[in-house]
Amino acid sequence: MGRYIIRRLIQAVPVLLGATLFIFAIVFALPGDPIAALAGEKRQDPNIVAIIRDQYHLNDPLLLQYWYYISGIIFRGDFGKTFAGVPVTQLLAGKLQVTLNLALVALVLEAVIGVVLGLWAALRRGRATDTAILASTLLLISIPTLVSGFVLQLWLGVWLKQVTGTEIFPIAGTTQGIKSYLLPGFVLAGVSIAYLTRLTRTSLVETLRSDYIRTATAKGLSRRRVIGRHGLRNALIPLVTYLGADLGNLMGGAVITETIFNLPGIGNQLYQGVYLREQPIVVGIVTILVLVYIVANLVVDLMYAVLDPRIRYE
Amino acid sequence: MSDTPQAGPAGPDTQTLTPETAPVAPPSRGRRRKKEGKPASLWTDAWHDLRRRPMFIFSLVLIAILLIMSFWPSLFTSINPLDARTCDLSTARQGPSAGHLFGRDNLGCDVYARTIYGAGNSILIGVSTTIITAVVGGLLGLIAGTRGGLTDTVSSRVTEVFFAIPQILGALLITATFRDKGLGIWIVVIALSVLAWPMTFRIMRAAVITARSQDFVIAARALGASQSRIMFGHLLPNAIAPVIVVSTINLGGFIAAEAALSFLGVGVQSPDISWGLMIADARSRFLEAPLPLVFPAVFLSITVLAFIMMGDAVRDALDPKLR
Amino acid sequence: MRVTKGAQIVAGTALLALAVAACGGGGGTSTGTSGSGGDTPVRMELGEPQNLLVPSNTTESEGAEALAAVFEPLVNYDENKQVVMGAADSIETKDNKVWTIKLKPGYTWHNGEPVVAQNYVDAWNYAANQENAQGAGYFFGRVEGYADLNPGEGKPVTTKEMKGLKAVDDTTLEVTLSAPFSQFKTMLGYTAFYPLPKAAFGSDGKVTNEYGEKPIGQGLFKLDKPYKKGTDQTIDLTVYDKFPGKKPTGWTKLQFKLYNSSETAYNDLQADNVDIHDSLPASAIASAKTALGDRYQDQPDAGIGYIGFPLQYNDEYKDVKVREAISMAIDRKTIAETVFSGTRAPADDFINPAIDGYRQGACTACAYDPGKAKEQYAAAKGPAKLELGYNADGGHKEWIEAVANNLRANLGVEVTVKPFEKFANILDDLDAKKYKGMFRMGWAIDYPSAEDYLTPIFSTGAIKTGSNYAGYSNKTFDETVAKGDQAASPEESLKQYQAADDILIKEMPYIPVYFYRNNSGYSTKVKNVKINLLNQVEWADVEKA
Repeated sequence: MGRYIIRRLIQAVPVLLGATLFIFAIVFALPGDPIAALAGEKRQDPNIVAIIRDQYHLNDPLLLQYWYYISGIIFRGDFGKTFAGVPVTQLLAGKLQVTLNLALVALVLEAVIGVVLGLWAALRRGRATDTAILASTLLLISIPTLVSGFVLQLWLGVWLKQVTGTEIFPIAGTTQGIKSYLLPGFVLAGVSIAYLTRLTRTSLVETLRSDYIRTATAKGLSRRRVIGRHGLRNALIPLVTYLGADLGNLMGGAVITETIFNLPGIGNQLYQGVYLREQPIVVGIVTILVLVYIVANLVVDLMYAVLDPRIRYE
Repeated sequence: MSDTPQAGPAGPDTQTLTPETAPVAPPSRGRRRKKEGKPASLWTDAWHDLRRRPMFIFSLVLIAILLIMSFWPSLFTSINPLDARTCDLSTARQGPSAGHLFGRDNLGCDVYARTIYGAGNSILIGVSTTIITAVVGGLLGLIAGTRGGLTDTVSSRVTEVFFAIPQILGALLITATFRDKGLGIWIVVIALSVLAWPMTFRIMRAAVITARSQDFVIAARALGASQSRIMFGHLLPNAIAPVIVVSTINLGGFIAAEAALSFLGVGVQSPDISWGLMIADARSRFLEAPLPLVFPAVFLSITVLAFIMMGDAVRDALDPKLR
Repeated sequence: MRVTKGAQIVAGTALLALAVAACGGGGGTSTGTSGSGGDTPVRMELGEPQNLLVPSNTTESEGAEALAAVFEPLVNYDENKQVVMGAADSIETKDNKVWTIKLKPGYTWHNGEPVVAQNYVDAWNYAANQENAQGAGYFFGRVEGYADLNPGEGKPVTTKEMKGLKAVDDTTLEVTLSAPFSQFKTMLGYTAFYPLPKAAFGSDGKVTNEYGEKPIGQGLFKLDKPYKKGTDQTIDLTVYDKFPGKKPTGWTKLQFKLYNSSETAYNDLQADNVDIHDSLPASAIASAKTALGDRYQDQPDAGIGYIGFPLQYNDEYKDVKVREAISMAIDRKTIAETVFSGTRAPADDFINPAIDGYRQGACTACAYDPGKAKEQYAAAKGPAKLELGYNADGGHKEWIEAVANNLRANLGVEVTVKPFEKFANILDDLDAKKYKGMFRMGWAIDYPSAEDYLTPIFSTGAIKTGSNYAGYSNKTFDETVAKGDQAASPEESLKQYQAADDILIKEMPYIPVYFYRNNSGYSTKVKNVKINLLNQVEWADVEKA
């Protein structure tokens, strides 16, 4: 097991380096001088621009810049500084928390709603409920976050507030604790809910068809017991896989949701980083997301072993 | 992928199509409706199946309408939104009225006409990206799967790098970097393709590897068929079904992704019209005047729905097991 | 650089076109500091400062607003747009070249040390030195010896001091300029001219990061704790006991709540979660007028928006008749009312109404006259195709599109609207003579003088180093401005500046399109909120309601 984890982590190194270098190179190629642009519409003294560029190694070739960056992380745990002189780690800590909260709320909503709907559909397989649930998942998949975000913001945020007089779902911002994350969390989870519903349904239907379930039923076990003990447990494996891997996706895909609901998360920050050409911020965020992706996949694979005794890792 | 239906690295479409479960459908394995003992091909089977699905017919009709709208928008509206004289700033944000069914936007332009004219770019981008990813990813997957060895190892590692990069964020970066290069809307196609091809690659590769060890391929090889003949004559036809399935489903996702990028200000640029751009423009006054945002949003959703419904139907037909 | 709140996007602060749009905000976590005796803070909306809080590196409105609470400037500006003494007791000159500044006694730093003239000298030398790469260093460009501290990139700076800067004694500061400049006094109220205490500097002679997080000032408020940029959602301050000037009555705590969207801040204002909001967005104006009633304020703001021409290398726009026709074809009023909902006003002069010297209706070609525009444009054989560039990041798209529609409809020409990603990209293309079309441009003042609308944007000297992006050059104009700079009395100076303004109106190197407005609102918990010429709140006057 330990050796397996180590091997997987070693395999992740080239992925991490490749992804960061790719992103680094693109930010490097972004047109425009980030320092000159800091002054907005007044012409920044070219002298000062040159001096600041030098401080941030911006005049060096790509690979050298990348080396400065990556060696800082490896040897000093230093993700660099923004042009305002703030350490990237300090800047991202708070933003990461917001995105993580959002992704976790989305994940919980996704798991609860997705599994319940999927279960329901599977048990009513072939009937109207099943068809209706499947149709609505299709609809859910089809509505881009861009649309669902605004529509829910208008209906549940604004109109509901006008009707009831209280702010049940905050329209934007993170000032109201977990309440602030409910609506954006649902919007973010939307597509995943649909996928998870379908996955749960398929998985359960297949499990229920298998021989041991038939045996269990034949033995005279109650339907509840058959489904609960035998069916669900086995149907769970692909669901856990999906949920685990989805955490990374939710975090990386939150930029639109964060924008609509104005949550100061890393998606928003990355967008600003691109705009300000803040290489350390952009690459730092991507590095974090790549790490999340790698770790999530690893954890998922390990979960396999826990859930299915037949799987063993060397 | 969470912001768009585009199945991301771990989206369930790929999830269920990982090497272990990737559907490989040999042409001669007639699965239903055998006529007089003669096995029907996968494709004939699928076509029979599709024709009977109301969902498929419905999506096909929708897509046909959208295509007509893209090519001949003037059939649907007499107002040319590209002509500034049709806008009147003093009527900005007015609600629906006769002649202006969806009302006016922030600049006093007709929302309906702009929505109609927005279809073209969305569909062009969606279709182009799908074709490019299918061809590039499919071809590379075919080569990697057939040749194996170092080619396979290297290309698989490379795809992992792309899988690890969040799609919208990656596309945001690429478009932001290259958008001043005069590529117009094609930069969106390129950005989406760069990040999406690994998915087709993986699926094709997995399907090819499964097909490679099948008897008829081994037989062909034993008979001395050339590498390229085996690749294109035997492996490709046997491995292409899952690629087609995923591509059709992704098409809707690409359209949504284009809207997301345009919304973020790095996709389609004015004066080109795009639904994402319209949504972005209407956003500042969304609470005052929601309609200029709602109408393009509805059209966007319907378009994505049409393509996803079609993809869903195609998947069911080509690979019923996945349903 | 100074940026008006209304134009804060311009500054390239973290705000984007997106963030400006509807809703949202990294709203301040309500740190309910309702501690002793119910002394709840007065809470004000603020965008995130662009940099650490170091005066000489703060050139945008948000950081400036925060620092203005911590520092007392040498001069303030009264309601009649005139300079009044702040931390200075008197500022005198005989020849507009050598200025003697006497400090008011009684000011101490928040760490207890007395404020001395040397603190100013140290701060200003630090700001001007190129090695320190301070954003506001250029403010000292008129001081004698500035060039010594700025020999150019790669060249070593051999001295640490400007010749023209001298602390005569603890309370007297003598500044010698390299050329006479009558407006020097008006400059002194700005962030760049704040002094720095000894404690600001580290052993290497640079301002420390710790100082930037918790600046020690000599002003009304001191910071309760360091402000961690990027993490903290509030900046908390308390009135400094030993502040010798006017203090607010009835309250002692001030809290800046950081928002990344002015819409969210407006929602919070309505919910009484924040007390003062001085940059209401266009989308909130209609609502604010009814919801806030007389708690809504609308006053001039010194910023101007123009449309410029690359006069230097594109002869198509050479004929002033063409430029006038374009100007007359723009329906400024409808744009101000519809696109901006009154957060802008139609421009009718090159000098803004917030500043002394503005003359209503001075620019006759700024009046909307589509008929005359078309006729004149045709007669002058204006180009059949026009191009209009703007930076896509600052929320300019709508009004630019509106202007383009005006030109298309009223002049019958083809107009291409060209988005650049940032203003710096327009600038690059103009410098390289690559971009031939018209472009938008905004100006926010560096100091409240009519002169600031002239020299930095239109003087020949500003082509290379200033903001004269059009490349406009007119000898008479330069000379007239110079006369104003050397004039013996403020009245005489203003007369010369207005004469220079007349030249601009006649020649239209740029087209003034709109003046910014400052749109503010406050909650039911405070009253008597006044916003000064610098768009900063007069804290001592604010009362709790």
